[in-house]
Amino acid sequence: MTSSEIPSGTAYAAEAALRPRRRRPFTFARVLRGAAPYLLILPVVAVIVAILGYPLYHLARLSFQKYGLFELIAHHGTSVGWANYSSVLHDSVFWHVLVRTIVFTVANVVLAMGIGTLIALLLTKVSSIVRVLLTAALVLAWAMPPVVAVQVWLWMTNSENGVLNYALTKLHVGDYFQHDWYATSFSQLSLATSLIVWGAIPFIVVTVYAGLSQVPHELVEAAEIDGARPWRVFRDVTVPILKPIFLILTSLSIIWDFGVFTQPFLLIDQSRINTSNELMGIYLYEEGYVKTDFGRGAAISILMLLIVALLSVVYVRKMVRAGDEAA
Amino acid sequence: MNARRRRSRFLWDAIGLLLFLVIAFPVYWMVASAFKPDDDLNAFTPTWFSLHPTLSHFSDAIHRPFFWDGVKNSLIVVSVTVALSMVLAFLAAVALAKFRFTGRKAFIVLIIGVQMLPQAGLIIPLYVVLARYHQVNALSGVIVTYMTFVLPFSVWVLRGFLLGIPKELEEAAMVDGSSRLGSFVRILLPLVAPGLVATSIFAFITTWNEYIFARVLLNDQSKQTATVWLSYFYGTSRNTDWGGLMAGSTLIAVPVIVFFLLVQRKIAFGLTAGAVRG
Amino acid sequence: MKVRFFAAAALAAVLAVAASTASARTSGSTRAAADKITVWLQVDAQTGWPDLVAAANQQFQAKHPGTSVDVQYQTWGDHLSKFDATLAGGNTPDVIEMGNTEMTKYMAAGAFANLSSQKSSFPNSKNWLKGLAASGNYNGKTYGVPYYAGSRVVTYRSDLFRKANAKTPTSLAQFTATAKRIMKQNNKRGFSPVYIAGTDWYFAMSFVYDYGGSIAALKGGKWVGQLESRKARAGLAAYKRFFTAASRGSKTGTENRPFPYDVYAHGRAASIVGPAWFSCCVGKKFTKATKQFVMPSHTKGQGMPGFLGGSDLAVPAGSSDKSLAADWIRIFTSTSGERGLQAKGNIPNATNLLGNSVNERAAKRSWFVPTAKNWVNVENGNVLRTMLARILTGKQSIAGATAFADSNIELTLNQ
Repeated sequence: MTSSEIPSGTAYAAEAALRPRRRRPFTFARVLRGAAPYLLILPVVAVIVAILGYPLYHLARLSFQKYGLFELIAHHGTSVGWANYSSVLHDSVFWHVLVRTIVFTVANVVLAMGIGTLIALLLTKVSSIVRVLLTAALVLAWAMPPVVAVQVWLWMTNSENGVLNYALTKLHVGDYFQHDWYATSFSQLSLATSLIVWGAIPFIVVTVYAGLSQVPHELVEAAEIDGARPWRVFRDVTVPILKPIFLILTSLSIIWDFGVFTQPFLLIDQSRINTSNELMGIYLYEEGYVKTDFGRGAAISILMLLIVALLSVVYVRKMVRAGDEAA
Repeated sequence: MNARRRRSRFLWDAIGLLLFLVIAFPVYWMVASAFKPDDDLNAFTPTWFSLHPTLSHFSDAIHRPFFWDGVKNSLIVVSVTVALSMVLAFLAAVALAKFRFTGRKAFIVLIIGVQMLPQAGLIIPLYVVLARYHQVNALSGVIVTYMTFVLPFSVWVLRGFLLGIPKELEEAAMVDGSSRLGSFVRILLPLVAPGLVATSIFAFITTWNEYIFARVLLNDQSKQTATVWLSYFYGTSRNTDWGGLMAGSTLIAVPVIVFFLLVQRKIAFGLTAGAVRG
Repeated sequence: MKVRFFAAAALAAVLAVAASTASARTSGSTRAAADKITVWLQVDAQTGWPDLVAAANQQFQAKHPGTSVDVQYQTWGDHLSKFDATLAGGNTPDVIEMGNTEMTKYMAAGAFANLSSQKSSFPNSKNWLKGLAASGNYNGKTYGVPYYAGSRVVTYRSDLFRKANAKTPTSLAQFTATAKRIMKQNNKRGFSPVYIAGTDWYFAMSFVYDYGGSIAALKGGKWVGQLESRKARAGLAAYKRFFTAASRGSKTGTENRPFPYDVYAHGRAASIVGPAWFSCCVGKKFTKATKQFVMPSHTKGQGMPGFLGGSDLAVPAGSSDKSLAADWIRIFTSTSGERGLQAKGNIPNATNLLGNSVNERAAKRSWFVPTAKNWVNVENGNVLRTMLARILTGKQSIAGATAFADSNIELTLNQ
């Protein structure tokens, strides 16, 4: 196999589209080349299917069964058809939780993507000492396990001796003596948002910053020499190149934030969870696990999967299409 | 022009420092608390730092049963998961980004679909499957589980980076003679290095901090990972040892930071060296 | 070519790891019977009384030389979900420690082996604490062996009480009067003579039981909420009166945020109500002045019934070594074992072993939650907390709030 015989993959596709169709020789070399993509994806597919294949099938089957603790011990449940789905979809709590979670997800994604991108851009503009400090802070924030971050947040917002109440009172922002930050749903979810966004920003910053490294300096300088303001340079030069990365990060953020569980659950605490502050992930945990109704929990899981797929389909479509255009 | 540059840089630096303070504050709070004696920790007025710092929390944490086992197990699980996942994900990402093949759409659906699964729903079925193959209470069971969660987004993010490489770069580097596949790998690898680094950091941190599956799959305390070890600080029915928890968390964070320091140069390198190579 | 190399290397790595770690596995669903039993205890034992566990293991191994004991410590937040997973996977432990409020759900589902026939062989079983023993019984059969208990006491600042010329109160009315006096003498912002979190239902329900009421009762096979009864309402009214007079804590607050002992350590409470171990964490400044007494009833001379917390030990039905497991429990809860637990500040499991510590005196009158298999859903659904919050804030009358709570309880318990 010589290089003259094999053009680059990108040009190849274009050429193939333009060339008149002709039969291609069926050699071993060509078979191997044709099989290449399949060989490349085989390990990934194998791992995923081997580990998740049965659990997924089992989850789907569970959603059509009555499966509580008794059935778990007996190792089989009784089929109830669509009863689990019907009971969930007829539960008004489910719909309230859904709306609340969508609003929560939008807020988190917008804040994280917005702040993250701005910080990534800032990193290109600061002197190296500040860059190192800021990157260090981001990595440290990233490295903190969510359960530990929750404990720190709880500590800082402790009504008795939390530093937040202390600082706000000292700075005369208001009287925050023994203010209970977990009294209202809005306050609880806002604190959860602050925690999640704080934890999500580092990944976004690092990824966007890495993506910025792929933006050729020449293009940026050319645009600047032409007199374009920074915003236009960003919009016309940087964004198109970063588009696949933005789409990926946004779609991943939507998926993760929609189903988030650990942070809001630990922050609000079981003793204050009720139908006015539940998010989807918590709702699933309460209905499926706390009440040990695994069949219902499975139905909620499948519904969550479908909803999240629906919410992110726009971005996923764009990503696939952007990939097709570039390839 | 020069003065304006300096002024704007000063402004950026100021904003950068402010952000540094805000973002690092919770981390600072955790580390500072690890050095505070119990009285300062429980005091009514929070103190920025203790006047009588103590190392007792750290020594308590290290001497707690299974600390070193926890660190060792986490290191094994995470390094194997990240190494294998990066290799496999990169290969799959190359396939997705550079080839058109039937079943591509199905593979994409698989990759994205897996990420949309609510993990909580999978715990028990996954446990049953792994138990059947004796992978419960074994690090290998945890590794393959983590791989299924790390691979999809790694493939997805790496695909994005591969697509972002301008065509000119690919073609410019494609000149020397070698097989298409081999050249793809050898040439694309350095170009996509920043993306690989970002993804590997994410994979490292996510698996290092993962807790839900580790605690269910590992029973022997000698096999448990560091995050499960940490949960024993706040899992008692009595009062939590806050100082110990903060000290333990600080210690657990060290390997992550070390890993980041080792690989972070690739990102900066990409930016400062310019994107097009000779 | 590089691809193939990488793929092969990856596969080899996975196999190598699997092989190395698989050989180190300890439990599978098929293992030689009687070579090892697995015991799940809570981490409290690991930090509190590891010597007692070691002693029991030694004794057990002396008696059964071919069998080793593998004690795996669990945390309270996770152990039930881990137990569920092992139930599904078929590799449950042989002995498991369960919180007494966690037992009923699992007993009703058939998770545990029936120990009724062996009951008399367990040490002191004739004298088991009623509250604890009840939590291990279902449908007349015994599934759980009482392990240890803890009651609720009042932890107080003897210096502030002395300043108010107060002796240990022997009735609720006396305590209320003391609280009012202490309030006058220490009228600082946020200071509570008795710090109570409004929705601390463990404390509030003590009032209900003190006045002769209860939470729910089984009538004709169905659970009927009892909070609407006259006696229960009287108890709640007494609670509201006491709270208003004695506590500046949040009316909607919970007893874990902030922890009462933290409030106490900051000098913001003259007394707090909770488990006896609260005395560990009252801060260096007040440790010397801290003492405890039993919460007095509204009837002079007796204590208010306190919530009896505690743990039982059970043998999962799927265990392959049930007789060995029961034997381990027998050894661990022997009289010497229970005396050891008592020395660490716990309440032992039998009345003939009870001493005279404040903790144990408080357990003389105790109450327990309804032994319904869905009771934990009532707890997790925060039904009682919501009711208390509404009553204390005045959002709803006691009659209205209890009626609402009762209907919720009946709905949940009878599912």
